[in-house]
Amino acid sequence: MSIRILLADDHPLTRAGIAEFLRREETFDLVAEAEDGEKAWELINELKPDVALLDIRMPGMDGVAVSQKVKLSNLHTATIMLTSYDAQQYVMASLRAGARGFVLKTVSPKELTAAINTVASGGLYLDPEVASVMGGEDFIPEPLSTREREVLLLAAQGLSSKEVARRLFISERTVQTHLASIYDKLGSKNKTEALLLALKYGVVTLDELLDSPNVEG
Amino acid sequence: MLKVKFKNYSLAFLVSALIVPSLAVVFVAVLGMINQETAMEAAVSSYVQDLAENMAYQLNADFSPYKLLGDAANYPFFAWGPSMPGWVALIGIDGTVITASPGAANIASIWRPDIPAGQAVRVEDKRGAQYTLAVYPLANNKGYVVAAVSWSNLLGGLVKVTRMWPVMIVLMAFCSFLAIKLLWNMLVFPLREIANEIDNFTLGHDAPNFDNALSEVKEIKSVHKALKRFAQAAIERDNLRNSYVRDIVSVQEKERVDMAREIHDGPLQDVTALLQQIHMSLEDDDARPRIERTEKLAKTIVRELRALCDELAPPWMDLGLAETLTELAERLSQSYDVEVIAELDELNELENFETSPELRLSFLRIFQEAVSNAVRHGQATEVVAKVYKDNLNNLVLEISDNGKGFDAKTANLTHEELRLQGHRGLANMTERMSLMGGSLSVISKPERGTKIIASVPQAAS
Repeated sequence: MSIRILLADDHPLTRAGIAEFLRREETFDLVAEAEDGEKAWELINELKPDVALLDIRMPGMDGVAVSQKVKLSNLHTATIMLTSYDAQQYVMASLRAGARGFVLKTVSPKELTAAINTVASGGLYLDPEVASVMGGEDFIPEPLSTREREVLLLAAQGLSSKEVARRLFISERTVQTHLASIYDKLGSKNKTEALLLALKYGVVTLDELLDSPNVEG
Repeated sequence: MLKVKFKNYSLAFLVSALIVPSLAVVFVAVLGMINQETAMEAAVSSYVQDLAENMAYQLNADFSPYKLLGDAANYPFFAWGPSMPGWVALIGIDGTVITASPGAANIASIWRPDIPAGQAVRVEDKRGAQYTLAVYPLANNKGYVVAAVSWSNLLGGLVKVTRMWPVMIVLMAFCSFLAIKLLWNMLVFPLREIANEIDNFTLGHDAPNFDNALSEVKEIKSVHKALKRFAQAAIERDNLRNSYVRDIVSVQEKERVDMAREIHDGPLQDVTALLQQIHMSLEDDDARPRIERTEKLAKTIVRELRALCDELAPPWMDLGLAETLTELAERLSQSYDVEVIAELDELNELENFETSPELRLSFLRIFQEAVSNAVRHGQATEVVAKVYKDNLNNLVLEISDNGKGFDAKTANLTHEELRLQGHRGLANMTERMSLMGGSLSVISKPERGTKIIASVPQAAS
């Protein structure tokens, strides 16, 4: 059975290019195209596609808002952000809004296919460019300790080292040691990237991140 | 127009206020004098009438006509004269003076036979001296008794003054005119000049010409001084604004030049190379390896353009203050290779907290500038940014570093001073905060690092 897809992008040339590729793939069925957020939301509600490819910046409602609506309406549609923005905060915002994938528009057809297939089967897909992979595709990070996982999840909520230390009843210095160890194991340069990589490698799950209390959004 | 009219009316009022009382005084004085003269005239008239009548009665009773010719001088009355300044005379029927009291020398010159008997009349001699006289005939056509009072002797100066009143009015009018003229020269004219000057000078450009003092009046001088101060303040303010605008323009132009250079050296070169690769691919039989290179090149261009956009106006600012500062901290940390931490515990606890795009942009630029300063001038290795609400409901961005610091007490932190000293970064931070209605303070001591506190008032939300 083919995967039913909706594509929303306000830039006609980009939309045409991606649509052409999607039509070429036999396992994909491009059911609708939208040029703004409102239209995208209407069509998703009406057609209930399996996957919605959403541009972040669109006139009216942006892609993150559409994704949020899909999440709140409990539709089975999995949303993927398809964007020009590589800021990690966009990835975080998208994931919090319920997106299952984050792909840059410079993505290759092969990667886009992988992304659509992954999210359609309930997985999470992040573009390699927003969370750069250390040592290639088959890199398997050293597992995090329980404490490190706790520290990472709290830090991911936007808590400072001081606050994380207070909540876990450990010293701030210990928190910083844990963080340094996490960065080292995952090959990340900062907190957000560490979290994205942890999600990517399955060290923490998206539900763990979203279910934890005090999460913004 | 209305203003001018009002000015004219008030001037007319001022002039009449001066003239009307003067005229009133003159009028009342003249009225008084006329009344006085009328009263005197009545008194004098009845006096001379009575005198002439009494004399004639006496003479008729006591003297025989012959006696009159020789001994009239025996009557002491004729020798002494009347009690009022004047004279009495006995005149024959032909007009010859039979006898007269002293001072009646000019009787001939004023005597007219047509003067009605028993009635006081007013006559004038050849020199213009005025007399009131009365003629009473003696019985049997023996002659006339003439009694006269001399006005010039009786009233003396008073008559002269009475005659002076037209002169006085003229004098008074002249004085009033002089006063008005002075008023005009010293007040109205200088005020008009000042008004002209205000009309004609370009505010912020000219200072009023103050050297040729228009008036010696103290009040006018202080108006002039105030005007000059005002004009000079405007000039200073304009200069400040001009230099500020010049700064903005030069910064804008510099940014355009920088941006053009960045586009030229980056994406433009790369797109040119991309085009060359495509050209060659079209000619190659086995184009695949070349197209693969082209793809890589295109990705590089996208990355460069994205970075350029991030630098110009970061799109991720839309996500919110916490996201903006976190993203920026991670980016700055990577580009300067120092620890840059955004501690946002308190910010995250503020519920339903919303910030305007302007505030996010201001905080973003201040954070950027602070980190840049901390690393470049202070050699800091760690910069921490915190956002919280203070007890005055201000939203505060506090950025502290572990750099060298400086003596903030001796440093002058006004915008103009900072600008002049070339600390444009700090100057811009201050300016940004003041535009947001907030304030920026810098706390620093040598070897103690620097703390920058940007605070913006928040409406309770």
